[in-house]
Amino acid sequence: MLLDMQQAWLLTVIPLFAFIVVSLFGKRIPRQGDWIVVLAGLACFLISIMFILDFQNYFNNSVFEPNGNNQYSFDWINIPNYLLIEFSTYIDAITVVMLFVVSLVGLMVILYSIGYMHGEPRYNWYFSLLAFFLAAMFTLVTTGNLLQLYLAWECVGLGSYLLIGFYWERQSAAEAAKKAFITTRIGDVGLLIGIIMLWRVAGTFDIQEIIYLAKSEVFSTTYLTVAMIFLFLGAVGKSAQFPLHVWLPDAMEGPTPVSALIHAATMVVAGVYLVSRMLPVYEMLPIAQNLILIIGLITALLAATMGLVAQDIKKVLAYSTVSQLGYMFVALGVGSLTAAMFHLFTHAFFKALLFLGSGSVIHATHQQEVSKLGGLRNKMPITFSTFSIGALSLAGIPPLAGFWSKDEILLYTSEFGTIFYILLLIAALLTAIYSTRLVILTFFGTPKDQEAYEHAHESPSLMSVPLLILAFFAITSGFFVFSFVGRFFGFEGGFPEIVFLKYPHSFHVELSTMLVAISVSCFGLILGYFYWLQNNGRRAISAMDWAPEVRTLLLNGYYIDNLYQNIINKLILGFASIIAWFDDKVVNRSGIDGSAQILNYIGFRLKFLQTGKIPNYVMMMALGIVLFSLVLLTSN
Amino acid sequence: MVPIENYLVLSTILFVIGFFGVLSRRNAILILISVELMLAAVGINFVTFASFFDSGQLSGHIFTLFIIAIAAAEVGLALGIIIRLFRDRDTSNIDEANDLKW
Repeated sequence: MLLDMQQAWLLTVIPLFAFIVVSLFGKRIPRQGDWIVVLAGLACFLISIMFILDFQNYFNNSVFEPNGNNQYSFDWINIPNYLLIEFSTYIDAITVVMLFVVSLVGLMVILYSIGYMHGEPRYNWYFSLLAFFLAAMFTLVTTGNLLQLYLAWECVGLGSYLLIGFYWERQSAAEAAKKAFITTRIGDVGLLIGIIMLWRVAGTFDIQEIIYLAKSEVFSTTYLTVAMIFLFLGAVGKSAQFPLHVWLPDAMEGPTPVSALIHAATMVVAGVYLVSRMLPVYEMLPIAQNLILIIGLITALLAATMGLVAQDIKKVLAYSTVSQLGYMFVALGVGSLTAAMFHLFTHAFFKALLFLGSGSVIHATHQQEVSKLGGLRNKMPITFSTFSIGALSLAGIPPLAGFWSKDEILLYTSEFGTIFYILLLIAALLTAIYSTRLVILTFFGTPKDQEAYEHAHESPSLMSVPLLILAFFAITSGFFVFSFVGRFFGFEGGFPEIVFLKYPHSFHVELSTMLVAISVSCFGLILGYFYWLQNNGRRAISAMDWAPEVRTLLLNGYYIDNLYQNIINKLILGFASIIAWFDDKVVNRSGIDGSAQILNYIGFRLKFLQTGKIPNYVMMMALGIVLFSLVLLTSN
Repeated sequence: MVPIENYLVLSTILFVIGFFGVLSRRNAILILISVELMLAAVGINFVTFASFFDSGQLSGHIFTLFIIAIAAAEVGLALGIIIRLFRDRDTSNIDEANDLKW
């Protein structure tokens, strides 16, 4: 093997190098340096593949063993006997899954962006930001300690901020970027608190050591619960879960490939990744784990209902992403790491596919509102077919990838509790309905905006090839559920064996839940067909008229945004004005200005000692010497 | 052998005269002369202590020579300043050179 997993730091260094070169010198390089980023992405993809192959050599090592030989580290900060922070890479099965997802989707998005961003201003800056994001994301998934993870966590947040606000001339884009950054920051503070709390007791930032210590009951249960809930708060912010989900729909202001990469496949699953990493700890804390389950469930349901009515093609996908992330958290909440990682794996492909497909539509028509699209299936056959594959996969139609992973989550939830199972089924139904709606409104029916329709054309091959590749994965990645597929690729078995090596959680396919899931999805599909395609959507319009209040409620996202705005206006700005008064009157006027005025007055009085007459000075000097001698003599 | 007290009394008297001169005179040249008196007093002290307590060594004497040399340089500098002052203000009375004040 050319490279083994000790060299995981390359995954950070290569894109970072591309970032520096392209951002600084991109304007002077041919093609503004996009090929450098493409090469970096390709290199990372190949390295990831090598790691996956190399990973098979480590089959005999258990997964959660501290200081296993799949870890490489050097000292970053070392204060002897007090603090040791290592820069470390740690690769296990979860990382391998993430590496494949990040590097493949990253490469596809970079290639797609060449076509999509063609002729845009700040072209080199866009590509360098993609490289920066990839560097941060690779650091995030390969790191072995929490502090480095936090660093990478903030860096992906920064990349997301800069890319959402890429069209910063547009007021809405600038505000969306700010909103995304600040909302996730609320979670990040929680993450930092959690990390510090863990460090205070464990004395280390190393994830595997913390898990080991937690298992040997070094922490008290209450303390650990609080710390892990704070850690989960970080995941809630980054993965756009219920109270903090508001930023993701707005983040769609960024260029569409960015939405595919950051806000569907990679960055938003960082929260899922973090909780997956720490799942052995969460499994010991029923309160924290139930919280994860409930938050995930609320998010899955709420976001799916909002996706039903959203008008912007990308916002539908954004709500769908939030909802599917909720699914993953439900899986983690019921303790099935495998199902969560499996859904993360398949979701990344079909959701990136959907976003890139919508980008293709937007690129062709310059329209994002579904009410202005329609009838595009003949004009854009490749986009249409791949988008439909993605949507069917999202809806959970067998044998596409989304079906298998969603089925696993449903299965484990049904074993956990019936009420959760039913709620999750409702979310699955809603998912099927809005996926159908999205496809029908975009590609079927009569064109609503004739000008956009005339303008439409199939995208260039640089954009359609990534679509086809991702469509291939959206179809096939679900087959990893079967052991023989995994064995075919040289693993011990299917996805559970990939994630858990020799100790797979129970992971099976059950016919009854599968049938329920299929019938729910098909029912959603048929409902969508009846409502939006037959009679040219008259039923949908009448349903809209039947309950206009509900529609307004959903369109406004349950007024959560307004609620936050009110809280900010009344509570936070009120509190801030008190602080401002204190700062102005007490700190500034009395403290700073006051002390300066006192000194000014003293100086004004004392300056008259400077008479300018030399005998006075000499007299003072003489008196001083006398005084000094007296003090010396008496003190002896 | 002259006792050490005599030398010290002499140097003290010289020093006090010089000091009184610095404080009471207004003429810059007289102040300069008074400063020279004080320096001479210090020189006497050095030589006295050196020959009474450190007779094998010459460090006190060397110090005195240094003081004389530096005093000469200082006189050159001070006279220069006084001449400039005189050319500027037609006086060597230091009370009239009181511009550096509040």
